[in-house]
Amino acid sequence: MSQVEISSLNKVYTVGGEQITAVHDLSLTIEKGDLLAVVGHSGSGKTTLISMIGGILKPTSGTIVVDSTDICTLDDAQLSEYRNRKIGFMFQFASLLPVLTAMENVLLPRIFAPGGGSNHHRRAEEYLDVLGLADKRHAFPGELSGGQQRRVAIARALINEPELILADEPTGDLDEETEADILRLFHQLNREKEISFVIVTHSSEIAAECRKRCRMSHGVLEQEV
Amino acid sequence: MTTHASQTKFGKLAVALRNLKRNSFRTTVLVSAIAILVALLIFATFFTMSVSSTIEKASNRLGADLLIVPVGARDFAQEFLLESKQKSFYMPKEILPRVREIEGIESVTHQTYLETITGLCCDVAQAQIIAFDQHSDFIVKPWLQNSIGRALGPGEAIAGSETYENLGLELLEVEKTIFNKRFKVVGVLERTGTGLDNAIFMTEADLEQIVAGGSSPLKQDQISIIFAKIGRDLDPYHVGLDVEGNIIEVDVVTRREMGSELLRKLSDINKIFVLSTVMGAILTVFLVWAIFSAIANERASEIGIMRAVGASESHIVRLFILEVVLLGVLGSLIGTALGTYLFMSLTKSFSLLRDLSVPVLSIRPLPAYLLQQTLIGAASIAVGTGICIAGALGPINRIKRLEPHVSMKGSLLCRR
Repeated sequence: MSQVEISSLNKVYTVGGEQITAVHDLSLTIEKGDLLAVVGHSGSGKTTLISMIGGILKPTSGTIVVDSTDICTLDDAQLSEYRNRKIGFMFQFASLLPVLTAMENVLLPRIFAPGGGSNHHRRAEEYLDVLGLADKRHAFPGELSGGQQRRVAIARALINEPELILADEPTGDLDEETEADILRLFHQLNREKEISFVIVTHSSEIAAECRKRCRMSHGVLEQEV
Repeated sequence: MTTHASQTKFGKLAVALRNLKRNSFRTTVLVSAIAILVALLIFATFFTMSVSSTIEKASNRLGADLLIVPVGARDFAQEFLLESKQKSFYMPKEILPRVREIEGIESVTHQTYLETITGLCCDVAQAQIIAFDQHSDFIVKPWLQNSIGRALGPGEAIAGSETYENLGLELLEVEKTIFNKRFKVVGVLERTGTGLDNAIFMTEADLEQIVAGGSSPLKQDQISIIFAKIGRDLDPYHVGLDVEGNIIEVDVVTRREMGSELLRKLSDINKIFVLSTVMGAILTVFLVWAIFSAIANERASEIGIMRAVGASESHIVRLFILEVVLLGVLGSLIGTALGTYLFMSLTKSFSLLRDLSVPVLSIRPLPAYLLQQTLIGAASIAVGTGICIAGALGPINRIKRLEPHVSMKGSLLCRR
């Protein structure tokens, strides 16, 4: 069952009067429960692709249909709700708000969700516990290591129980042990909760652990492995 | 294990508060700027309202529609009645029946003012003596009834509430010498809110004895002022013109004209206040704009992150507005307190206020006064907060339009 249908997607940036094609005529289907790795060199358009799937970047042309709705046609409020309810983002950097504690960072998506942030503290605590941060709930990002910050960001991506997690180099600067822990968690979530994953990575090891793989080069989806 | 405290607190307000705390210097600068502006606004409002309200109340409390004084003494009379300045001015008593005969005049009474001369003939502190005719009087009588419940007898005097004679002393049955005549000061008048509060009162009959004794500069059959009531539905201005037209020796001040000179001064001061407040407001708007522009740039990546996790443009605007409102309300509250304190403490530094007959804040009944102050405070908070929002709207509008991806890209570039 397809969860995301991408057709003829293009993204052209204009930088200093020059047009740069980041994604060119890309079509892709993501099935529910997929664990998909997108590999490719820097500048190949991987981040641009998942940014468009996640609704944080508007494509120049093409369609991205999620649950029968082309998200490219949504207005700001609808797109925000889509990001909030259906998507979990993990960025290349930890992307935590420095003024909020770990717990508050995890709960951040809830304050933008319909119905507010109540009754999600227990779930946030559970994620932090599972991620080994039980004693760091009230620590600020500046008091956490890079790996701990990354794990807080993972908990934040999970708090709204999204259907699709878009992870951009999720273990980029982590040690091997933390990387393995995080990948194990991804597999567990994928298996137990049927959350789909699109993981952008340079790492062939991470890609090897995913059920599906595709490669991007110069904005073009070259092959599905 | 429980995090119940944080469970109930975390929300947009918590985020706004944390953002304000992150740069306490910047927050302090903004709050101070708003506080100073609001303090100026409060001070100016209190000052203006107090002066005009005091003048209005004082002229109403006199209970007369027209004040008839010797030609050229118009300002003296107002200065005495409103500003408690000691003044002596006289006209022949024979004017009194002429005034009474003018159409529209319903009743008249008169008073005679005399300044005491310390040490020579009087053992009271220098004060204004007011002699009044108990038969026709409608100015002092209501206050006298409340004070001693009867008319003044021969050789009796009563002191105004603000006179030196009333400074913490129980005045009943105090013997005083005024122009070589012994008086028994039998009581203290209630506060009237007029220049009468700074005078010592005696009957006209006693004053005539003083004049006859020759120890005062006053001559027989001289009076200072005539108070007149006019018929219902008549225009005091037109009746006043009639009086002046028929009796060329007098000037007439209507109740509405009372304090007009003070109000003219006040109008000029108001212009300065308005100009200062407008300039202060413009400066504050620029300051808020500059600081929020910096804040918006600094937080671009954080806003991008919030957008990515589901914040809409309106969420971002609301978060910033909440922050701005907190700043505005805090600054306005401090400003309101500061402005009120400044007004209270500096009242006596301004001759315009100092010379008014009564403390300006004691004019209104307490509930009305509190309501007025609350309304002024609420309006000031609204103005302070509004100015803060006006300054921040531009930067907020700019930052909300950034695509989340662009905001975060900016932050990545900054990190590299």
